[in-house]
Amino acid sequence: MTRFILQRLLSVATTFFIVSVIIFLMMHSIPGGPFDGGEMPLPPAVRERIMAQYGLDQPLYVQYFKYMGGVLQGDFGVPFQAPGQTVVSLLSQAWIPSLVLGGLGVLIGAPLGILLGIAAALNRNTWIDYLASAVATLGLTIPVFVTSMILILVFAVWLNWLPSSGWPEPHKWILPITAYATIPLATYARYTRSAMLDTLNKPFVTVLRAKGLSEGRIVYTHVLRNSSIPMVTVFLPMFIGTATGSIFVESMFRVPGLGLFFVSSIRTRDYPTEMALMLMLTLMFCVAYIISDILYAMLNPRIRNGGRST
Amino acid sequence: MHLVEISDLEVSFPQADGVVQAVRGASFHVDAGESLGIVGESGSGKSVTCMAALRLLRQPPARISASRLNVDGTDMLAADKRKLASLRGRVAAMVFQDPMTAFDPVFTIGYQIGETIRAHREATKAAARSEAEALLARVEIRNPSAVADSYPHQLSGGMLQRAMIAMALSCQPRVLFADEPTTALDVTVQAQILQLIKELQAELGMGLVMITHDLGVIAETVDRVVVMYGGRVMEEAPVDAIFDAPQHPYTVALMGSMPGLAPGRRLVEIPGGSPDPSNPPSGCPFHPRCTQADARCAAEMPPVVRTGPQAQAACWRLT
Repeated sequence: MTRFILQRLLSVATTFFIVSVIIFLMMHSIPGGPFDGGEMPLPPAVRERIMAQYGLDQPLYVQYFKYMGGVLQGDFGVPFQAPGQTVVSLLSQAWIPSLVLGGLGVLIGAPLGILLGIAAALNRNTWIDYLASAVATLGLTIPVFVTSMILILVFAVWLNWLPSSGWPEPHKWILPITAYATIPLATYARYTRSAMLDTLNKPFVTVLRAKGLSEGRIVYTHVLRNSSIPMVTVFLPMFIGTATGSIFVESMFRVPGLGLFFVSSIRTRDYPTEMALMLMLTLMFCVAYIISDILYAMLNPRIRNGGRST
Repeated sequence: MHLVEISDLEVSFPQADGVVQAVRGASFHVDAGESLGIVGESGSGKSVTCMAALRLLRQPPARISASRLNVDGTDMLAADKRKLASLRGRVAAMVFQDPMTAFDPVFTIGYQIGETIRAHREATKAAARSEAEALLARVEIRNPSAVADSYPHQLSGGMLQRAMIAMALSCQPRVLFADEPTTALDVTVQAQILQLIKELQAELGMGLVMITHDLGVIAETVDRVVVMYGGRVMEEAPVDAIFDAPQHPYTVALMGSMPGLAPGRRLVEIPGGSPDPSNPPSGCPFHPRCTQADARCAAEMPPVVRTGPQAQAACWRLT
């Protein structure tokens, strides 16, 4: 198992390197630069001096290694959109709302989705199943910003129960968390249902019945354990959903989180901030990959000890 | 009282476009210590019959009715879920066709055998586990401890089938249903497994129901044979009588299609195919393929007539 984890870590490090190069190149391939001016163009001499100050006049590979060298020491540079701060200080305030709201969304949505999926699978073709399918389909097909608007319209405008936006008071979290939770809830409801039904139709379930096990034991010990194997793979799409969702959810609910910086740093060609955000996202995915791989191996003996031992 | 008693069993599966009638009135019995073979082609209803006997078919969709469906004195049709669970594995156990898919892939063999023991009587995990090893040794597995620690994917089909037999015998059942236990195995392993089942049956004094389409298996393992076709019992007789003097035209044709009786003899196939279970033929289900059929065979199901001691058949030719 230790070797397995080390292998994963090595492959993640490689992925991280490749992705960082691609992002860096793509970022710089967008026409225009941070100090091109727009309404108030800088005099060429001044502009060149600033470019030199930030090292932007050097060849790209030098810039890349300089930046990544800094990153390895925890220095993500100075944001062009707020030159008085560092990228770390700029983002360190912003990631708290994103993490709290997104994290709670997943922590609440995923278990609810799993329960809904189990209920649907065990009551196939009843109203519970149809309800679960409807919830899952709506949750996956309606974009988060539409869900957010509906939530605001119903709970803030019509019913006037909750504020439409804001931070940091906890009662203002309820609507954005709900918006976040729809994705993991829908994803998990769908996957749990189909994984459970798939497992329930396996021949070994009949053998378990023929052994005289109770239905409860069959479902909660055997079927759920087997179904959790494919469900682990859903961990990743859920991360994508939450990360990209933050861009919409945070602007809908006016949460001062990371989502806004994704957009603003690209628009202003704020290379250090953009790079820091993308690296963070990459890291999140890599961690998600490692966790799913480890869970997968823990749950699935066919991967854990591949060979024939007897 | 017979150990297993089935009378007029009917099993059907409603579909969107009609009803599949898998079993259309099957009757037979098994006594303690006796081995009964149920033979028939695919679709004859033999597996469904045994699944129905243990109530292992999901209802719905399956519809089961019988004038009698008793296992060890318990009316299986009247028994509730809890009663059924306590009977399965303890009084009546089953060995399935494909050992490769019969075990839960995420638990060890030892765990799964121990689990059966613990489902039916008080035992600590450790005790159940060591009992599982003893059972594996009993089905002639040479390194029971290593096998008990193995996951299903680490073992061969023959090894798994032995383990499934060990699991089935873990609570000393009074009757064992074996549903084509050798079909998925290599020919060399088949004979070993049959031999093992036969020995254990004699040793434990169990009733045995051996379901198969392989007449060779029947000849080697059982005392009495039930021949099924189109969801009905065509003939029932002691094993010697079935091979030496088959009475029903279907049984006669089946024997003619079996290789190995007389070297150099040409095998005779039975023309036509199995009846469509959602639209079975009228009268005797075999009449469309039977060389001796006449108008009456197509119109009316023949009655069961006695053809010898412990032997009966359903054919108008024998009335």
